[in-house]
Amino acid sequence: MPRAIVLNRADNVATLLDTGQAGDRCTLQGEAAGEVVLAHPVPFGHKVCIKPARAGGDIVKYGQVIGKAARDLAVGDHAHVHNVESARGRGDRVKA
Amino acid sequence: MSTTFLGYKRANGAVGVRNRVAVISIMDNCNPVTRSICQAVDGTIPVTTLFVRGQYGRDLEIALDTLAGMGRNPNIAAVLLVGLEPGTTEEVARRIRPSGKPVESVTLQPSGTINCVAEGTRRAAKLVIAASGARREPCPVSALRVGVECGGSDTTSGLTCNPVIGALADRLVDAGGTVIISETSEFFGAEHLFAARAVNETVGKAFVQAVLRLETEAIDRGIDIRGTNPTPDNIAGGLTTIEEKALGAMAKAGSRPLMGVLTYGEEPRGRGLHFMDAPAPAVENLTAFAAAGCQLIFFGTGVGNPIGNMVSPTVKVSGNVNTLRTMADNIDFDASDILEKGAKVDPLGARLYDFALAVASGTRTTSEVLDVRETAISRFAPTI
Repeated sequence: MPRAIVLNRADNVATLLDTGQAGDRCTLQGEAAGEVVLAHPVPFGHKVCIKPARAGGDIVKYGQVIGKAARDLAVGDHAHVHNVESARGRGDRVKA
Repeated sequence: MSTTFLGYKRANGAVGVRNRVAVISIMDNCNPVTRSICQAVDGTIPVTTLFVRGQYGRDLEIALDTLAGMGRNPNIAAVLLVGLEPGTTEEVARRIRPSGKPVESVTLQPSGTINCVAEGTRRAAKLVIAASGARREPCPVSALRVGVECGGSDTTSGLTCNPVIGALADRLVDAGGTVIISETSEFFGAEHLFAARAVNETVGKAFVQAVLRLETEAIDRGIDIRGTNPTPDNIAGGLTTIEEKALGAMAKAGSRPLMGVLTYGEEPRGRGLHFMDAPAPAVENLTAFAAAGCQLIFFGTGVGNPIGNMVSPTVKVSGNVNTLRTMADNIDFDASDILEKGAKVDPLGARLYDFALAVASGTRTTSEVLDVRETAISRFAPTI
């Protein structure tokens, strides 16, 4: 069973400490306990969503905002560049 | 916890952890001569550079100050400058001389490559023989100025190597030493937390302004920084946004108050934790640390970045168990027990402190023995 670490109780993502496959029951450690079932393969060091997030909502790690959900995220989703957006240094948004 | 290491006491009271003769190129066209001299003379290190010719204004000042700062670094016993012409060469020599160390120079004009290499080799040999008379002696940890850096980051960086480096930073500051953190863009999203540690409002504002100025510059260019920072290897390693990277990067600075804000390559005037406003990529950032007089650099890495600095021995720390296996040749300190065995950060910080004193006393790093070292001075303006 892959492990994932939660760094702050406010976090809605956990960081995988082992590579996980879709369907794996992932054990949470750190500031949360329990399990999440991975909806997708999640590589070592990547994040899994542990609380649902609405499109445009905050993605929280270390108890701090690390970006915005680009679409609705469900528990077990791989949270990464395909569905989480940075809010900083975004010259591309100004240009448009 | 030992509070001394074995270092080289210099004429100006600074302490070196190495005792090398630096052969420094004044501009890019001098690099072949610098390299030839260093191949011929054991005990020298080549400090090469790109550009300088055609740079002007603040950009030129930064280049000359950075070259001179590396010459002044206490790890350097003596300096041989290699110039094209005497004018610019003397500009750099003049900035190194106050350190009290021997500074000599050779120029390519008017006698050409062969004569310049011959004369430079002769002079470098004499400087090395003279420098070799220096002996290590006990020196206080308060004499250490240390740069903290991360590169090739991934999500293990913010959980392992960077917090361990932060625990070292706190110990060094508590012992009266100086720590410099930099990489301005890698505070995007974490600046509010770091600013809250400023010793006063002026320092806090100067720090936040440096971060926002750089972000405004990126936005004004109309460019999406994603893919540049975080880099493709950061993203492959699980880092999703610059904010996430910044929150992990900041851990390198430990928890002590922020005492001052420095410009590129600027030497701190006081002790304690400082921030330097300098670009994040490792080579140009490490060069700025060396110019600021850092005798050592601690470099956290996740997916692995082997590069070190020529003047300041660079200690590679990783907590990524995969990188420690695949890039073992390039890592000096293993922090993987945190994620693999549930080890606490602080005891590893204590071990890294002991290792820091060993390196300061002469233990060599992987980037030194494999000579994976490079120099690059940041450019802020075009040449003319």
